[in-house]
Amino acid sequence: MAKRCIGSLLVGLLVGLSTGIFLGWGPFPVEYRNSPLAALAPRYQEEYTLMVAEGYQVDRDIEAALERLRPLGKPNTIDYVIELTERYISQSNIPAIPVMVALVEALIGPENLPAIMQLYRPTPTPAPVPQG
Amino acid sequence: MTSSKHVRTSRGISWWALALGLALGLAAGLVYTWEIDPVIERNTAPWQLSAAAREDYVVAVALSYAQNQDILLAADRLRAVSPNRNIWEVVAEVACNRVKQGKTVTNSDIRVIRALEQLYRPQGGSGCADGLYPTPEPITIVPPTPTFPPTPTLTPPPSKTPTVPGPTPAGAVVVVPTSTPASGTFALARLQSFCDPERPGIIEVRVYDVRGNGVPGIPVTVTWSGNEADTFFTGLKPEREAGYADFSMEAGRSYTVTIPGLVSNAPTVEADSCQASVDDGVVTTVTSYYVNFQARSN
Repeated sequence: MAKRCIGSLLVGLLVGLSTGIFLGWGPFPVEYRNSPLAALAPRYQEEYTLMVAEGYQVDRDIEAALERLRPLGKPNTIDYVIELTERYISQSNIPAIPVMVALVEALIGPENLPAIMQLYRPTPTPAPVPQG
Repeated sequence: MTSSKHVRTSRGISWWALALGLALGLAAGLVYTWEIDPVIERNTAPWQLSAAAREDYVVAVALSYAQNQDILLAADRLRAVSPNRNIWEVVAEVACNRVKQGKTVTNSDIRVIRALEQLYRPQGGSGCADGLYPTPEPITIVPPTPTFPPTPTLTPPPSKTPTVPGPTPAGAVVVVPTSTPASGTFALARLQSFCDPERPGIIEVRVYDVRGNGVPGIPVTVTWSGNEADTFFTGLKPEREAGYADFSMEAGRSYTVTIPGLVSNAPTVEADSCQASVDDGVVTTVTSYYVNFQARSN
């Protein structure tokens, strides 16, 4: 009798545990509600970065822009912005490119702007006029 | 044969123990997957963010809208933050919270409040930040007309006949007109009450120039009970704002706020009681007011 109960209990435990793990990792995972910006899905992080870049066009305050990007928790915010800008260029995301390039330019300075981004600078440096 | 097998199988299972095992196993599985080793958070949507992170996101949406003026895009982005609420009220709340938290120190902070307000007010949202930081009016710059230096005139040669000194003329009195600013130079731009148990009975005065910049050093006079008055100056609390000054009221009295000689429509406010919701219920406190004056643009 006891042997029979223990056996059934063990079988039930095994089946229940497997079902619980399947449900908890599969259809009903933990739903986070108090997440930081760093936990945003990549597409929202990119959208947020673009919005910050557009905001920089409004206030021209690079410190404030950096401050807004910091909560994304990137190891190197500037590298992240450059990488995203290069990706937008490779994807020909035309509306996003000039604002992102302007943000990169403000972050690293016009002299350090990668060559590919020079093409998209909102205010290109005038070429020197040959004398004579 | 078949029936004896069937009997043996049903005798080998204790249904109660099996059900108990299932329940315990299921509970243990869920505890493990929800508490001990939950799914790593990778695909969080904006609505799942914490309040602070949501505020950052809404600010970014407002700044983006200030740049691209795409209201549909802004609305889509805001719906991702708050799918079940009026999104314009959410933006108004963010602006209000930022003002209450004193995030109005830097120029960037003020631009954020303006961007938020430009987003929610035309859509019907309203909150305690309404009109606090009016958007500067566009300024038309008229290039100055160049003035040429006066043509030098030759002094007449000295005459040979001595001139008889005449009577000394009585000193002419030159009256230099003093420019007295006309009454009505500033207009009441905002008058709004608020109920905050941490700031009971306060009149928060802000004075702006035509471009929306705070103006320090402006005398503000508050009068009450007919003949009682107090004058103080804006800009003495620069950590709040350049054109800011405040005054504490006594409960139950009426106060008139004006900039002497510069405001034609001085508002009167009443320090009556109000009820504010706090964490542990409702408290009764004294109503406070935002009173903003802005310079008229001729």
